[in-house]
Amino acid sequence: MISLKNIEKVYRTTNIETLALNNISLNIAKGEFLSIMGPSGCGKSTLLNIMGLLDAPSKGQIEIAEQTTEKLSDKQLARFRNQKLGFIFQSYHLINDLQVLDNVELPLLYRDASARERRQLASEALEKVGLSNRMKHFPTQLSGGQRQRVAIARAIVGKPEIILADEPTGNLDSAMGNEIMEILINLNQKDSTTIVMVTHDENMAQKTHRLVRLFDGSQVL
Amino acid sequence: MFKHLFKLIWNKKKQNSLLIVEILLSFLVMFAVFSFGVNSYRNYAKPMGINYEHVWVITYNNSLKTTNSDSLTLFYEGLLRNIKALPQVQNASFTSGNVPFSNSHSTSAFMYQGKKIDRVNQFTVDENYTNTLGIKVIEGHWYNKQDAGSKTRVTIINNMLKEKLFGKASAIGKFINYYEDKNKIKIIGVINDIKFDGDYQSADISMYNRYDTSAYHWMSKILLKVSPDADASFESHLSKMLSNSLKNSNIEIEHLPNKLKSYNKITLVPLIILSIVAAFLIINVALGIFGVLWYNINKRRGEIGLRRAIGASGGSVSSQLVNEALIVATFSLIIGSFFAVQFPLLNVFDLPASVYLTALGLAILFIYFVVLACSLYPGKQAAAIYPAVALHEE
Ligand SMILES: Nc1ncnc2c1ncn2[C@@H]1O[C@H](COP(=O)(O)OP(=O)(O)O)[C@@H](O)[C@H]1O
Ligand SMILES: [Mg+2]
Repeated sequence: MISLKNIEKVYRTTNIETLALNNISLNIAKGEFLSIMGPSGCGKSTLLNIMGLLDAPSKGQIEIAEQTTEKLSDKQLARFRNQKLGFIFQSYHLINDLQVLDNVELPLLYRDASARERRQLASEALEKVGLSNRMKHFPTQLSGGQRQRVAIARAIVGKPEIILADEPTGNLDSAMGNEIMEILINLNQKDSTTIVMVTHDENMAQKTHRLVRLFDGSQVL
Repeated sequence: MFKHLFKLIWNKKKQNSLLIVEILLSFLVMFAVFSFGVNSYRNYAKPMGINYEHVWVITYNNSLKTTNSDSLTLFYEGLLRNIKALPQVQNASFTSGNVPFSNSHSTSAFMYQGKKIDRVNQFTVDENYTNTLGIKVIEGHWYNKQDAGSKTRVTIINNMLKEKLFGKASAIGKFINYYEDKNKIKIIGVINDIKFDGDYQSADISMYNRYDTSAYHWMSKILLKVSPDADASFESHLSKMLSNSLKNSNIEIEHLPNKLKSYNKITLVPLIILSIVAAFLIINVALGIFGVLWYNINKRRGEIGLRRAIGASGGSVSSQLVNEALIVATFSLIIGSFFAVQFPLLNVFDLPASVYLTALGLAILFIYFVVLACSLYPGKQAAAIYPAVALHEE
């Protein structure tokens, strides 16, 4: 599903050069649930951004869902992200001025979908994360765990093949974290969505199919 | 997408209210400027109604000792004959002080069929007035020798007053009378409208009465149509001749084109001041819009990064921000238009409704243009935000 070959990422600022990823090669199968661990600053987010086509590697090749991505234009990349990928972030990134339902509909606004279709799909996604009764709330009226569930609903509303989650439980206590984890496992098992998750929590990582450890931009496991 | 943006702005109406008020204010000021400007332009585009080239205005005061009307008439008719006899003079005409472009007005109220007509401009003129100024008679005829003996009082009106009173129908032979004076006055002629307050002011309802012999007591202006070769030496010759005839009188000779120029300046001053005020306000508002959008973009980096992640291209992020600004402006313009249409509805300044409607259209276009111009660059900056970075800061 995802294939990375000799990926290298160098960040250059005026006087510093950071090697964020050093020769990473990784194959992730369809339906796999992979977790990535490593100390802060070792390049986990960078790796996820590259898989998510939000950032381009300095060197190496990527193939996602049978698609090589080097030659895609900004528009094509946006379209690809919209159709194939779902993102979940540590800080949720909900739009506080929009109701839950409107937040979940957001990805569908960037494709051809009627208002009714959007409503329908968003309600279904919210049902999957157990928030059918919070559709008209604003994000600020929800707990952290609930917000992350809204973010998951938003990630799955477009039925993506791949979900990329960057520390989705990082801001949550363990009970809430476990709830989120249950939902992700469920998505992986029922819909066989491929999931790549960055985490700091060994217990969470234990529940996934495979664990990759990074250290200073290199894969150590 | 439009509905989505509308919802987003509606839910943020508190944050947007300052911007909405700012745009509303500048819209109203621009509406005033454009109303003023459009009205001035429309007046400017209309014909002057007189040919003022090579027309001079002589100002004098009656310094004769005699109060006998017959001797006065004899004297002034002689004077006019002498002036006309000069080779450079093509025509000459006695008139009351309210010559064109002199900012001198005299008005009276009239009655027609029980309806009062306020503020009709009153001119006291002689038979040579239309020829001296190149005025066209539209209906009936101008004063001639025969009218002088007629027993019924007669008058000549301009086209504007004619249309106000009679519409498309003929004015000739109709009677009007001064307010609180039952004596009937018969209309014998209609002449073209004259913009006697200069290029940028409208003509006004007017009535031209023939001087009678008693008028020589107080008449104080002579209009001269001179030939193009009438120069400064002729002017001083004329001045000397007048001083000799009218001893102890102050003689002043002015040129109508110069009077027009200086009068135009005066009438444009309010428009210029208003435009300067408006320009400062618009610059302020433009900077305000620019600043608010700039601030918004920095505050919304997370949202922008997220939108990029879930499928927005750089272009769609930038057009989203521009569209949001235009929607906010639309809120202001809807409120502003509500106020603006009251002017023609309530006929506040007695301007034609089409002036207000044109000004409304121009002000709307102008505001959209300013908002568009101020949002393009911030929008472009937003498109350049790097999603990978924006999504991981906070
Ligand atoms: N946009 C950037 N510009 C410069 N350096 C960056 C940027 N993003 C990340 N880095 C650097 O790259 C390294 C890896 O960062 P990151 O992938 O965010 O680590 P992690 O997610 O594992 O904490 C860090 O040293 C970080 O400072
Ligand atoms: Mg990170």
